[in-house]
Amino acid sequence: MLRLTACTAALLILSGAAFAEKFSWAGTTDPQTMDPHAVNSAPVLGFLNNVYEGLVRRGKDMAVEPALAASWEAIDGGAGWRFTLREGVKFHDGSDFTAEDVLFSYERGSSEEADVRSWFAPVSEVKVVDDYTIDFLTSAPNPLFPDSIANFMIMDSGWAEANNTTRPDKEAGNYATLNANGTGAFMLANRQPGLTTTLTPFGGWWDTAEHNITEATFTPIENPATSVAALLSGDVDMINPVPIQDADRVDQRDGTKVIRGIEARVIMLGFGHDHDTLKYTSDAGDPNPFLDVRVREAVAKAVNVDAILQTIMRGSAESVSQLVSPAMRGYSTAKADRPAYDVEGAKALLAEAGYADGFSFGLKCPNDRYLNDEAVCQAVTSMLAQIGITAELDAMPVQNYWPELREDNFDMYLLGWSPGTFDHEHPIRFLVSTPNEEKKLGSWNFGGFSNARVDELLPAIQSEIDETKRQAMIDEVTEIYQSEHAYVTMYVQPLVWGTRDNIELTQRPDNFFLLRWVTVN
Amino acid sequence: MSALSRFWDSDFAWDFRHSPVAVVSFLVALLLVLSAVFAPLIATMNPFVPANLNLMNGFTAPGVPNQFTNETFLLGTDDQGRDVYSTILYGMRISLFVGFAAVALGMIIGVTLGLIAGYFGGWTDAVIMRIADVQLTFPSILVAMLIFGVAKGITPVEYRDQLAIWVLILSIGLSDWVQFARVVRGATMVEKQKEYVQAARLIGRGALPILTRHILPNVLSPVLVIATISLALAIIAEATLSFLGVGAPSTQPSLGTLIRIGQGFLFSGEWWILFFPSVTLLALALSVNLLGDWLRDALNPKLK
Repeated sequence: MLRLTACTAALLILSGAAFAEKFSWAGTTDPQTMDPHAVNSAPVLGFLNNVYEGLVRRGKDMAVEPALAASWEAIDGGAGWRFTLREGVKFHDGSDFTAEDVLFSYERGSSEEADVRSWFAPVSEVKVVDDYTIDFLTSAPNPLFPDSIANFMIMDSGWAEANNTTRPDKEAGNYATLNANGTGAFMLANRQPGLTTTLTPFGGWWDTAEHNITEATFTPIENPATSVAALLSGDVDMINPVPIQDADRVDQRDGTKVIRGIEARVIMLGFGHDHDTLKYTSDAGDPNPFLDVRVREAVAKAVNVDAILQTIMRGSAESVSQLVSPAMRGYSTAKADRPAYDVEGAKALLAEAGYADGFSFGLKCPNDRYLNDEAVCQAVTSMLAQIGITAELDAMPVQNYWPELREDNFDMYLLGWSPGTFDHEHPIRFLVSTPNEEKKLGSWNFGGFSNARVDELLPAIQSEIDETKRQAMIDEVTEIYQSEHAYVTMYVQPLVWGTRDNIELTQRPDNFFLLRWVTVN
Repeated sequence: MSALSRFWDSDFAWDFRHSPVAVVSFLVALLLVLSAVFAPLIATMNPFVPANLNLMNGFTAPGVPNQFTNETFLLGTDDQGRDVYSTILYGMRISLFVGFAAVALGMIIGVTLGLIAGYFGGWTDAVIMRIADVQLTFPSILVAMLIFGVAKGITPVEYRDQLAIWVLILSIGLSDWVQFARVVRGATMVEKQKEYVQAARLIGRGALPILTRHILPNVLSPVLVIATISLALAIIAEATLSFLGVGAPSTQPSLGTLIRIGQGFLFSGEWWILFFPSVTLLALALSVNLLGDWLRDALNPKLK
């Protein structure tokens, strides 16, 4: 009898657990901050899209749809865009959402301290018309503006002032680094950086909830093999990414499945275009060989992308010739060819540039940011050794990596770029434009590549409405950065997520994981 | 009678010849040490010179020709196309070098402090032995990680990889001197009461010659035993640190680093990248350890 009661009790507990739809997931990188304006990187923005919302948001198919703005229209004559805000929206702390919050978030996000300020480069002025109407005026007609601000997240002005966090602080951090007050479907319940972050559903959310989660917990697991073990043992319900080498096994196992897609992220090598001398190895202090376009071309020819794809990426990625993948808007079909793998050609170029005997330099690489990033860098090191140049590899975790790049501590580096707007203009603005603090351009152009014609074409691309003319200008920019070998583009990274069989979710090509589409069965 | 044949006839050698465990572990250890020393001659390539690698050889299974290059590797290759057999040979060099050097360092510090503590006694002894006691309360791997962390913090980034091996030696050596100090101190306290030491004192010899010429040779046999067992422990400590990612860098991988790299492929079917370095580490540590055990029995007739 006693045993029977114990059994029933156990059953009750089990079924109770099944009804409380707790969901837990793991990823390689912990979002650095809970501040939506402090760091412009996918792990942070993807995570915070669950907590904060923008005026517009992207749906399952990446199409832009109304969020905090119920509708928007171009102001006559291309002067800007008018957003009509949704009424009755509440922040997590209960305060009302109005146009003042949008203006405040614009000022915060476009401030000197904000990493996301380049999103607002086209904006000349923001005017509050009334409580639920706001105008974003642009210096030139900007047909893509609403598309470009899907990640511009709105923060409550009263909350920010009360907690002394009216400006983001990326380095030291402030109240908004550990706390959040958005309008999104989930509230930040507990934040322990590097350990665990817990979200709970927001009862007062303006939209109808599609999910059935009662509590969601995110745990960063740095070691990919450990996160696979956690998924297989049922400790977590979802992991992103599944290491490519383990994908087949996770998929074949009972109880777990793999969801694959092609990510928008292009993996490339960058150079120190504005470094006069090399910074690392015994050759430090010598003139920077990468200033010579023939040396950069030699690197492009020496990298055997197909070999990387076949072995390290196990056939699940595609090589790419430009800064965006073919699925993106503005992809230049005329410039689709990547320099062919050609060791002899690369050696000849080096000899022509006066480096027949080679040289050595420092290659910086993250080891927890992109799929198999360190292995790719090692492979690049051995491929460059074939043409006689020695790369000294320094791989580090991503929280040390960005500061190193910002301080210009590299001769060559690895970078992955996913265009937030799904348009070719995005990487041109961030990676190819001459860095310019004031105009908020080229903010991730670490090597300082600069070309006057590109700088001239960018504003024209931004304001051109005619598709054919726009594409012609993009083709011209593509031609410039390809022939200058500003970057050595390698491949488009695959998306490989793993979940338990009872989980239904939506995989967006920007690798954002949104809890509002998760169903636990 | 030559020294060699005298040695062959000694009790010690007789004991060795009649212990199969000792003979086998000695041969295994000798084979591994020799293959590490002569790695450049017997390896198929130096896998840590990037120019030698062909990525298309990546993930070749042991003994099976690669599908693209048609090359065959005895123990397979890892993700970068490095021959696992060669990486083990080169990795073992680092493991053994760190092991021997760390034990030598620990032995020098431990024996010196042990002799001083045992001979002088009093507050000198008290201070040295209390330091030793405090250190014993920390697990030695923790002490090693602490030293490693501090050293890493104060070395400039550019030199970190070159210095990593020396820092590793320092951190393991400094964490295992205590064993030596305690044993030598005990033995010294016994020896210093003996007539030959008292006689040396009576004829007016100083403390230094007495310690080095008279006492040291008589306390060395337990030191030899501890040194052998410490070698096995130091090799494992080095592998542990490297496995945790704080030891030998991947440009100069030890067996521990190789195991850490291989662990990433454990679930995906490339078992050989993890398996062969692990087996080598096991064989190395086990043979040295068994040899140490036998040595302890052989040098201490009371245990027979």
